[in-house]
Amino acid sequence: MIKFENVSMIYSNGTPALNDVSLQINDGEFVFIVGHSGAGKTTLTRLLICEERVSAGRLEVNGFHLEKIRSWRIPKLRRTMGVVFQDFKLFDKMTVYENVAFAMRVVGAKPKLIKKRVPFFLDIVGLSHKSDSFPTELSGGEKQRVAFARALVNNPDTVIADEPTGNVDIQMSEGIMELLMKINKLGKTVIVVTHDMSLIQAYKKRVVQIENGKIVADTNGADFDIKSMMTSTENGAFDGGEIR
Amino acid sequence: MKPSTFFYNIGQGFKGVFRNRVMTTASILVLMACMVLVGTFYLVIDTINLNFQKIQNLNVIEVMLQKDYDTEKVKYIGEQLAEICDESHIIDWSMNMWDRETEQVPKHENFKYISSDEHLEIMLETYNEDWIKEIFSHNEFHGNHEGENDGVGNAVYDNPLRASYRMTFINLSDFDEVTRVKNRIDEIAFVDESGVKTDAILTEDIKDNIELYGNVMSIKNTLYVVGLWLMAIFLLISLFVIMNTIKLGLSARENEIKFMRLCGATKHFIRMPFVVEGVIIGVFSAAASFGIEFYVYDYLLKDIISSATGTTGALGIEAAEFVTYAPLLAIAFLAIGLFAGVIASGISMKKFLKT
Repeated sequence: MIKFENVSMIYSNGTPALNDVSLQINDGEFVFIVGHSGAGKTTLTRLLICEERVSAGRLEVNGFHLEKIRSWRIPKLRRTMGVVFQDFKLFDKMTVYENVAFAMRVVGAKPKLIKKRVPFFLDIVGLSHKSDSFPTELSGGEKQRVAFARALVNNPDTVIADEPTGNVDIQMSEGIMELLMKINKLGKTVIVVTHDMSLIQAYKKRVVQIENGKIVADTNGADFDIKSMMTSTENGAFDGGEIR
Repeated sequence: MKPSTFFYNIGQGFKGVFRNRVMTTASILVLMACMVLVGTFYLVIDTINLNFQKIQNLNVIEVMLQKDYDTEKVKYIGEQLAEICDESHIIDWSMNMWDRETEQVPKHENFKYISSDEHLEIMLETYNEDWIKEIFSHNEFHGNHEGENDGVGNAVYDNPLRASYRMTFINLSDFDEVTRVKNRIDEIAFVDESGVKTDAILTEDIKDNIELYGNVMSIKNTLYVVGLWLMAIFLLISLFVIMNTIKLGLSARENEIKFMRLCGATKHFIRMPFVVEGVIIGVFSAAASFGIEFYVYDYLLKDIISSATGTTGALGIEAAEFVTYAPLLAIAFLAIGLFAGVIASGISMKKFLKT
């Protein structure tokens, strides 16, 4: 479970990013986080993986209280989450298999387990036949799927996808979303950070809209007012500071 | 730590070494220079220590007595010297060490009388060569003993040597006191019935090697201090170079490390390959330095010593076999190597992981 209670976050240079955010995401939920550039979406995900610390309020993620978490416990928190980055962060000198195995290796998984799990997840994302290929030999969609396999391979409770369809065409977007649905059906909490309105319309899942560091809407997909979001303030000023 | 993780990190450490081979080589060379210098200084200082007993023999004042002095005069000078020694803290001697009842002259280790015959014996033992014996069997010296045969075929040697009193110092750091003692010895005089004083000991008859002893000790201390400073400087340079080597490796793997952290890798896990890299540099440097040190000692240092002492070994300076130093040097080099490698990689990683 993920629970924000009156969370505020101000960067060390004084820039406010989130202001009094309260939000609860239950286990197994599928949530879209939407908002304009600089609204605070990235900060929210950075707080979830403890790349940033909350300035005020309480934040609980998969049983860890992040407002007071000790630095040596952060790796344990991160092992409960799989993150798919917009730029994939694949290593060009490693094969597809090695890229996925690397995520297991760095958390100290045994070679036997790695040999068992990596082919399984490559099969789930439909890339078994590409296991010996290098990332430079893959299409954008294939790279994205490798990134998903890598996020899933350590069996996380929560999967966070940052703009997963940002670099792919419509057909591939659909494939990726189908994959995310499949992951959600496995019982994982899925958080998709996006500004792709077509996804929200198509999949009718819960939508949390952030603007100027505040949650301005939290509805299920069917009730989400896309028009109001499209016309809301872009990159607006917030409490006299710039929004990240 | 799981064995698989341990071996994985070892493998990554070796990969890192090959990835930065130029900087790794530089690190190894600097660290080797540090170790070889430290080792050489240690070996030189220890060779001096090994020969310390011989150097300590320089640690004496010998008062030579005139050949024509009778027993009374010899005894008088002995009593005067004994009192001087008793009053001075640089000689471990007190008057109650001298058994006046049974001995006319003192025979204590720190203060003793050596007769001319004893001097001759010592000399013949020290330079046990026929040509010396031959010289002393000729009648060209006009001492107390004329050269003759003892009737059973053994040569009785002429003895031109003089008797002496020998005082051994325990503390030479107080040079003022040494000078004071020498001056007092020089002032010893015979007083006749009419109260007229005549010198008992000529200034040139007070023999000592205290200056030489002081020089040897000062060289030893200088070597010690210079060695320590050089070690500190080279160790710092080594740390700096190794830190840069590790930093290069860190920069090359920056994205990998960022991803590892996001995946939930512990700092310990991230740090390990770089520590292993530092350890490899340290161990390799130690092994190479050990080999070089063997060469330096056996083929250079020993040669220098033998050429300095001459083929006859007249000065009697000796050098121990390398094998006696081998275990200590191996442990010391390994300790320096590991210290430099682990500390340097630890510092680099700490800075990097903080950012």
